[in-house]
Amino acid sequence: MFTVVAEDVTKTFREGRETVAVLKGASLHVEAGEVVALEGPSGSGKTTFLSILGCLLSATSGHVVIAGEKVDQARPSACQAVRRRHIGFVFQQFNLFPALTAAENVEYALNLKGVDGTAAKAQARELLERVGMADRMRFLPRDLSGGQKQRVAIARALVASPSVILADEPTANLDASVATQVLELFGELARREQRSLLIVTHDPRVRHVADRVVGIADGRIAA
Amino acid sequence: MVDLGLKTLLFDKVRFLITVSGVAFAVTLVLVQGGLFVGLLDNSTITIEKLGADLWITSKNSPNLDFVHQFPDSNLYRARSVPGISRADNLILSFMQVALPTGAEETTIVYAMQDFSRWGVPWELEAGSLDGLESGSFVAFDESASKRFGPFEVGDYREVNGHRFRVVGKTRGAKSFTTTPLAFMDFHRAQELQPDLLSGKTSYIVVKLAPDADPAAVKAELERRLPYNDVYTAKAWAERSRDYWVANTGIGFNAFLTVFLGCLVGVVVVAQTLYTSTMEHLKEFGTVKAIGGSNLDIYRMLGQQASIAAVVGFALGYVPAELLKPVIAGAGLKLIIRPELTAVVFVGTVVLCLLSAIVSFRKVKNIDPALVFRT
Ligand SMILES: Nc1ncnc2c1ncn2[C@@H]1O[C@H](COP(=O)(O)OP(=O)(O)OP(=O)(O)O)[C@@H](O)[C@H]1O
Ligand SMILES: [Mg+2]
Repeated sequence: MFTVVAEDVTKTFREGRETVAVLKGASLHVEAGEVVALEGPSGSGKTTFLSILGCLLSATSGHVVIAGEKVDQARPSACQAVRRRHIGFVFQQFNLFPALTAAENVEYALNLKGVDGTAAKAQARELLERVGMADRMRFLPRDLSGGQKQRVAIARALVASPSVILADEPTANLDASVATQVLELFGELARREQRSLLIVTHDPRVRHVADRVVGIADGRIAA
Repeated sequence: MVDLGLKTLLFDKVRFLITVSGVAFAVTLVLVQGGLFVGLLDNSTITIEKLGADLWITSKNSPNLDFVHQFPDSNLYRARSVPGISRADNLILSFMQVALPTGAEETTIVYAMQDFSRWGVPWELEAGSLDGLESGSFVAFDESASKRFGPFEVGDYREVNGHRFRVVGKTRGAKSFTTTPLAFMDFHRAQELQPDLLSGKTSYIVVKLAPDADPAAVKAELERRLPYNDVYTAKAWAERSRDYWVANTGIGFNAFLTVFLGCLVGVVVVAQTLYTSTMEHLKEFGTVKAIGGSNLDIYRMLGQQASIAAVVGFALGYVPAELLKPVIAGAGLKLIIRPELTAVVFVGTVVLCLLSAIVSFRKVKNIDPALVFRT
């Protein structure tokens, strides 16, 4: 069963008179529980591809199916629903809410996905325990290290058990040993819970946790 | 529910303070300007309200309480013969000159009646009494006159239109729109002082209805019997007087302008701080979307932030407006902040703050979703 199906995805950006074809027929299938690393030079369209899979950006053509649901950018509310139900994001910059504590950051994501009150509090605690952040629940992001922030972000991405986790350079802002820890945690969680994990990266360490490494070149995905 | 909007708003305390003080400043400005406007207009018709007449008979097409034309005082008898009237009296309102010890002259507005005791004017006596006003050259001045005429006491003498009068009373709060102080004297004495103008004349006939009388019917009958006069209910006459000041002096426009500018200041401050704050948090909003939130979730958050800024700003702006009351009273002006004004300003503040959030809504709507991945 594929949780991510992308076929012949193209994306063209228009900048004034010029058009830039970034994706020229990119296809990718990811199975449940599979960890895939996506590599490629800077500017090759990795983030663009990830944004399309995550239903944040519309493809110019081609089609995308996430966990059996067709992603249709023409219907933003349907897109939002796919995102809410099936996708968790992890970012290079962590993107935690600076005004919320670690626990609240996770809890807020739960709220957005329809979990409220004490249930949300309990689940947030449990998720933070899973990423080893039980002792930092009440810390604000500014009081956490990079690795700790990324752990919180991972906990947040795991909220409501999404089928697909999309991570864009999750280790780029972390130093070597922390990056390895985070990656191992990430891989383990994905496999144990049968989540598909697509990691965009330049980091060779990702290869150690990935089941498969694909590259992107000239707007296409190559194995 | 984690309150991301509130927590983010309070996270940057300095920004929050700037936002609410902007709102507060605008609120104070609008309340004070609005209150002064109401206060001025209140002065302009205070005697109409205090006198307690149900109907006012005026000369034809009188524009305003203070701008009088005289008409024969014998009209009073025709008025009195109308059924349904419990009392009707002549009332003179005339500008007269008071000589100052320095040799200069100041204007006063003289109210003259045969018997003030039956009517509600003057309504507050600080010293002396108006009893026996008719038995000599007696006058009562309003205490506010001391600002223009210099300090005076009951028992002092002052020259009014060249005649020596003994001050027998000192009233309080009796001022006109132009803040000219009022004076009170006997009806016939006033006629004697300005024979050319007032001999055999009166400025108004004020009418009190019998308890069971039908005001409309009495008014119609008065109009029939006095075709060269106008008849107004006290309320209509006060409104006409006020409208005159609003329309024919700058004050209406002036009040409108400051209120408008106050609102503008408030909107600009709130819109600007909300907008810069939105711009700074754009990535967070993008993140809200990425982790499953909708535009609506973000709009709600912005709306909530704007409302909080409005409510806190209003509260902070209301207090100084209240505190300014004694200061303004010290300057001889009246600041009247009626509940209606307060309510309008409150609702206006909230609405305008929400409107200024709309600028940010547009930004959020067009947010580049891939923003969340950017460094
Ligand atoms: N909104 C946009 N408008 C115009 N061009 C864009 C836009 N977003 C991306 N591009 C272009 O698409 C190309 C691919 O960008 P993308 O961010 O996907 O690359 P990337 O592979 O993620 O690079 P990096 O490794 O540096 O993050 C770039 O040439 C970029 O300029
Ligand atoms: Mg990128």
